[in-house]
Amino acid sequence: MVKIYNDYKDRADFLTVYVREAHPTDEWQMKSNVKEDVCYAQPKTLEQRVAIANDFVQRQRYPLPFGIDDMNNAADLAYSAWPERLYVIDEHGRVAYAGGMGPFNYEPEEVRAWLAKRFGPVTQTSSATAPRP
Amino acid sequence: MSRFWKWTLGICVTLVLVAFAGLSFMAGSPKDVYGMVRYAFPHMHRGKLRAGDDAPDVRLLALDGSNHFHLRERTRSRPLVLIFGSYT
Repeated sequence: MVKIYNDYKDRADFLTVYVREAHPTDEWQMKSNVKEDVCYAQPKTLEQRVAIANDFVQRQRYPLPFGIDDMNNAADLAYSAWPERLYVIDEHGRVAYAGGMGPFNYEPEEVRAWLAKRFGPVTQTSSATAPRP
Repeated sequence: MSRFWKWTLGICVTLVLVAFAGLSFMAGSPKDVYGMVRYAFPHMHRGKLRAGDDAPDVRLLALDGSNHFHLRERTRSRPLVLIFGSYT
């Protein structure tokens, strides 16, 4: 998504919404989390969620604008977001693209295709390789 | 227990074990199957939002941990790409 952001940030707005952790240490931790040293317990307070979000942005040098879901998980519930999902909202506040449920149906290229259809294809060389949140 | 019910029970147990073995293979290990069933399935939802629906407005917190904003404040004169996810 960082590449798509770099390609289209002059034409569209982007917002990363941070939701509850997918593979925390106290729930379903994956081996890849240990290997990549991404080990966090499921936040029990908003402060803990904010701290992990800031860790992510700093460690991954993540350039996209950021918002954090409250502990009532309102954004997650409204958008069926967990564990990861993509949407495009048009200028009228309506859903223009609703992506599938991640991880298997999380398709950034579908967002790129939507943006390309709207604004034309854009591909710039970009060395930004920050992973998706 | 009659023979019929013994066979039925045996077949059901076998099917459960085969399903568990298959899921373990797909997920990586029996521990991952447990994690998937215990922690992932309750939170996974197909989602009801479709193209054309009004985008729900929600309140979000900025990275500074003190300022809030509404998602709809970001829908102005340009499309807004939303990327939902977490670090782990």
